[in-house]
Amino acid sequence: MSDRQPPSSRAEPTELPAPLASPKRFGVAVRPPHYAWNGEHFVSDRLVAVDRASVAGLPGRIEVVIEGDFVGVVADSLDAAQNAARRLRLEWRAPSHAGQGDHDQVPLETGARSRELAAGHGEAASAHCHDYGWPSRLRWGDAPGWVVADCSDQRLMLWGETITPEALIHDLMTLTGLPAERIELYGTTPARVSGLGRHCGDDAAVDAAVMSRQLACSVAVWLDATYTRDVHALGQAQRITLSADLAESGDIADYRYHQAHASGDIAAVGLWLCGRPPIRRTEASGTPPFAPYAFSNVQLATRRDDHGAGRHSESLAEIQQAFARESFLDEVAHESGQDPLALRLRHLDDVRGVELITSVSQRARWGEALSSAASTSPDRLRGRGFAYSQLPDRHQRIPEGVRSAWIADVEVNRITGDVTLTRLVVGQDAGPEVDTDRLQQTLQARVLGSARPLLGRDPAFDEWGDGSKDDKNVDPTPGGVLVTRTDMPTKESADAEATASLLQPLDDVNLAPGVAVIANALFDATGVRFRQPPFTAGRVRQALHDQTDSLQEETPGRPTKRPGRRWLKAAALTAVAGTAIMAWPWKGAITPINRPAANLYSAETIERGRLVAAAGDCAACHTAEGGQENAGGRAFDTPFGTLYSTNLTPDEETGIGRWSYAAFERAMRHGISRDGKHLYPAFPYTAFAKISDADMQALYAYLMAQPAVSAETPANALSFPFNFRPLMAGWNALYHDPNPFEPDPGQSDLYNRGAYLAEGLGHCSACHSPRNAMGAEQRGEHSLAGAMVDGWEAPPLNRLSRSPIPWSETSLYDYLRHGASSLHGVASGPMAPVVAGLGELPEYDVRALAHYVAVQMDAPAGDSETVRADAAVRIATAQSGPAGMEEGERLFEGACASCHMENGTPSFTSAQTSLALNTNLHSQHPDNVIQSILGGVHADHVPGLGNMPGFADSFSDSQVVTLTAYLRARFAPDQAPWRNIESRVTTIRQHNNSPSPHP
Amino acid sequence: MTQAISLTVNGRSYELAVPPDTPLLTVLRNDLELNGPKYGCGLGECGACSVLIDGMAARACVLPVSVAVGHEILTLEGLASEGRLDPVQRAFIEAQAAQCGYCLNGMIISVRALLNHTPRPSSAQLRAALEYNLCRCGTHVEILEAASRAVAINAAESPEAPHE
Repeated sequence: MSDRQPPSSRAEPTELPAPLASPKRFGVAVRPPHYAWNGEHFVSDRLVAVDRASVAGLPGRIEVVIEGDFVGVVADSLDAAQNAARRLRLEWRAPSHAGQGDHDQVPLETGARSRELAAGHGEAASAHCHDYGWPSRLRWGDAPGWVVADCSDQRLMLWGETITPEALIHDLMTLTGLPAERIELYGTTPARVSGLGRHCGDDAAVDAAVMSRQLACSVAVWLDATYTRDVHALGQAQRITLSADLAESGDIADYRYHQAHASGDIAAVGLWLCGRPPIRRTEASGTPPFAPYAFSNVQLATRRDDHGAGRHSESLAEIQQAFARESFLDEVAHESGQDPLALRLRHLDDVRGVELITSVSQRARWGEALSSAASTSPDRLRGRGFAYSQLPDRHQRIPEGVRSAWIADVEVNRITGDVTLTRLVVGQDAGPEVDTDRLQQTLQARVLGSARPLLGRDPAFDEWGDGSKDDKNVDPTPGGVLVTRTDMPTKESADAEATASLLQPLDDVNLAPGVAVIANALFDATGVRFRQPPFTAGRVRQALHDQTDSLQEETPGRPTKRPGRRWLKAAALTAVAGTAIMAWPWKGAITPINRPAANLYSAETIERGRLVAAAGDCAACHTAEGGQENAGGRAFDTPFGTLYSTNLTPDEETGIGRWSYAAFERAMRHGISRDGKHLYPAFPYTAFAKISDADMQALYAYLMAQPAVSAETPANALSFPFNFRPLMAGWNALYHDPNPFEPDPGQSDLYNRGAYLAEGLGHCSACHSPRNAMGAEQRGEHSLAGAMVDGWEAPPLNRLSRSPIPWSETSLYDYLRHGASSLHGVASGPMAPVVAGLGELPEYDVRALAHYVAVQMDAPAGDSETVRADAAVRIATAQSGPAGMEEGERLFEGACASCHMENGTPSFTSAQTSLALNTNLHSQHPDNVIQSILGGVHADHVPGLGNMPGFADSFSDSQVVTLTAYLRARFAPDQAPWRNIESRVTTIRQHNNSPSPHP
Repeated sequence: MTQAISLTVNGRSYELAVPPDTPLLTVLRNDLELNGPKYGCGLGECGACSVLIDGMAARACVLPVSVAVGHEILTLEGLASEGRLDPVQRAFIEAQAAQCGYCLNGMIISVRALLNHTPRPSSAQLRAALEYNLCRCGTHVEILEAASRAVAINAAESPEAPHE
């Protein structure tokens, strides 16, 4: 599953220097048996001896890299390096001063620890004290991937995904002594730079750099879940202890803050092992802890960092501080029976801050109970949290700094521990001179960027395996935020800043409350306090489990939930200058209309709409098997449950007869039904949003001019939580770009037309782009990279195409226009009706589509002689079957050969293209081959093409397995045999036995 | 959903209203009552259903009738011309190559298709042409003899063979 190809296949080759694109050497770091960050020091076993002879006999060139206690093994392939690393004999000695400075780590989840003070201690009514922690590594990474380093005396180039480029560069400077400008990072996605902390991509990068530096060649390291060891070894990076005494009035009388380290950033493991403890940067003086609140007695302390834990990270420290402070205030409020928001307000003497919080709480309806509409399931816990912070403005635009108030709603699945961020309202007082649009965009990108690692994948081995596991349940990607334009009084261009690199951490965006707000909402939902991020499903599940256990022992243990939120109800909403508010898009219904008269639109418009409908192939999905065109009811099996397409005819009761154009357009572009319900993205509104206005109107005109069919469609049968439509709003914010298509001025008209059709109406990517665990199409390099849809594989339409004969623009055109290409075969499965739909399109449009797809594939204009000769060789090679597969041979000769093998006489019904050129047989997945054998090939939509009958009723499962393996061996001899044919046959049979699309 | 379909079979035009994905064989046998082509396996494996389309063999059981629109369809019934059986038919009668006879339609059509394409086939070509026509009575030897005879008769009756 995991793609172990070198990065050249995953990145833009033009951007990538050759040594990174195709590394020749592969390295594995061998960690000591014991190593750990103990809160003060890095302690590890010492390397005593290396037995190089233990790997000397292995094939290939094996090099062992030793630097201090760092051990790396480098070979010509990853497998060889891993093998050698396992065999390499090393002798380690435990450190002499083991156990020194052992800090007990903050308990991750503890019950309330507030203690009533003994009587006579001043006027304090109660005292509260809690510890908060921050992990050194949030997780091991996002997914397995390569990290490649090429290091010389002059410069260091590195390819790999880091979310903390600044910290990584600093580590690499420490390692190599190179200045920052000589260190080049590739492959880093700015949008993922969350500022929340590091992952093990940085450790892998330093490993690669150490090996590359010593061997003077580029070295690739495979980042996978083995790096979870580093996550555990590095443990906690920061620990903050907060305590407060409360007066009788409920006011915080005494507030004490103690931070264990000036910075909460631990350098890469490789750096420590090499004996190069990180150098503190000179300007690193530590962020003085700062509380925006006015407490009567404040004591703030930060421990001096003498041991040089790592580089100083201002923004990270600020986030850590805000997390601890805002979590603590929330706890104090709950423990003393106060509204958490009110508690803050009574200690805030800053007018702007009060206004901001008031405005945000109004927007989020803080005082009202959470909507109970969706909380029918007892296994779904809902909660709401608040957090606030004020940070110094580095641009000095706003005196007293940037204020930010957050209210988050979360939903916790008690069974799985999945946390969904269902709503987020963020108010930011960013001063009078700011581009609010950009601020909203940045906030949105940053918020989502920050929530992902918090709620995202669990870094535990059992949760994630080696990354090859289906991660469907491990990625409870948050819902989210959507920008609404509310009160934005000033709008001034800030172009210079708009282009500023996103690598600049948290310039004018205050993300600090982002972590605390989720922790507070989680507490509200579950009664469990998380005092250290991340809040991954595994940790939440474990905590809920522990809570249930303890509840059985002592009943009154659970803290009271949600004290009154009435405090703010009366406050008036005041517009705060420069406040950007992101709020949940509750969509209303659009008033129904009487069905427009059929003669409202001109014949030209309706004809245009007919072409639009053909290009969009509405009928393919909106027509049930044997049903009336566009009357809906076709079933779609998705990983989330069964969906049914809706009735698109202008019937007033069951169809869209009473939809105004506004309602229609909103559904098409935003996925919201006329009545305000969210539609599921099986309906590809994500693509249809790109449709131009004129086309959209024509499509509406065409649909409204069709005969009305009264047909109720079955109710969707989705599994929880996907049956909760409002979740889609969060989904939309995360994955949906509702902006219409913008042509690329650098491309030809033909390309832009093709891109418009392919990305919009044609919604190619709906099938051909892989989707993430939340069912959203992946973009960037994964765009059009192929996917499984409804039991079929939609093959890659980009450079990953595995077609035995490379596609050309000509062959793509033949395929799209005529349903068949002589070098590739026929359109079948779900693609057949698509080609049939394209039959309605003008010549130019099909050429444009072919051109666009050809560009994505890097395909030449025509088929060269070389390619044709290669095809001939492949066909000739497959003239005889492989030895030792007699049973497969018999099946093939009896059932298939009559049409699939030439016998010297042309036949009207035989297949025109040899199976040796068949893409499906060369794919990584046997699914399409099995589908074709079982269900046949039905291209009767395309004039002039024959059918292949299905053999589901005449072949047993084992015969299908035998035949499939035989076909692979005979017609795709250059491909490895499929390993999973049996299970796929079983699955596909079961799938097809439900409502069979091809009876 | 039925659809208006025009077919040209054995030189005659037919207007039909049938679902477009109906197998051609069904239309020939049920609607046009042309029972020369037989229903064998229904999967295009045995060849009993063969007809000629534009002179090429076609397995009518797997061919949607809509695909045959605009083409010349010839069934066993249409092979004879001017009151005289086709040379291939005569050869099969003379050789008495039938046991049960069910496969013979396909055998005759396949040999006819071969001769249309290769008027002077070698015996290897003959065998190859019949490779995917199944006979479950095991009459292959007689059928091959009949086919060779057909080649000879055909050669004798059309001395000016078209250029291969």
